[in-house]
Amino acid sequence: MTIRTLRVLPAVLLLWSAAAAHAADLQAGAAKAKEVCQACHGMDGNSTVPDYPKLGGQRPDYLAKALRDYKSGARKNAIMAGFAGTLSAADIENLAAYYSAQPPVLIVKH
Amino acid sequence: MKTTRFCAVFALAGVSALAWGQAPTPPAGDPAAGQRKTQMCAGCHGITGWRTAYPEVYGVPKIGGQHPAYIVKALQEYKSGERSHPSMKAIAASLSDNDMADLAAYYGGGAAPGK
Repeated sequence: MTIRTLRVLPAVLLLWSAAAAHAADLQAGAAKAKEVCQACHGMDGNSTVPDYPKLGGQRPDYLAKALRDYKSGARKNAIMAGFAGTLSAADIENLAAYYSAQPPVLIVKH
Repeated sequence: MKTTRFCAVFALAGVSALAWGQAPTPPAGDPAAGQRKTQMCAGCHGITGWRTAYPEVYGVPKIGGQHPAYIVKALQEYKSGERSHPSMKAIAASLSDNDMADLAAYYGGGAAPGK
């Protein structure tokens, strides 16, 4: 094991344990989606409005980051700031997991 | 007569307000041209499972099949600094409105932005 690996290991373990501690709840995500997101993004994340992004099959950590950034104001959008502001950290993880688990309307295009 | 003139002024004001509120029509994108401009995108968005390393580690978003209008909006926001990400800001800054429309048409699946 190199020194470099040893240096990175604690961070990796911390991230791993953090992820394990907040295992996302898909059912709770679905309930929150119905309440907060579906009017614009749809329950399956396949938004039909061109200005609103599709979310179905999106990477969960990207979705969670987007919501955290809207909540903190790092990413500015009047509509999303209002919605993300009401979400707890657990809501964000659950929603991200829920939409990423929907039929993948989004793909990696080469 | 006076009423007619009054109405005409209001109608004109309404029309100009409408024009004022509308964003300029985005250029129609050409998916084939977009495909030729993906060199800067493919290194991250074209690799399944790719994660950013800086400034935060997270999965690079999938953009294939996304609404073209949203892709253009995202690129414009990176370019203007409204949305921050060091690599995306630099890349978006090098793109013209036409480049953005072409890339959006390619990644979004061929439909013109806003359609």
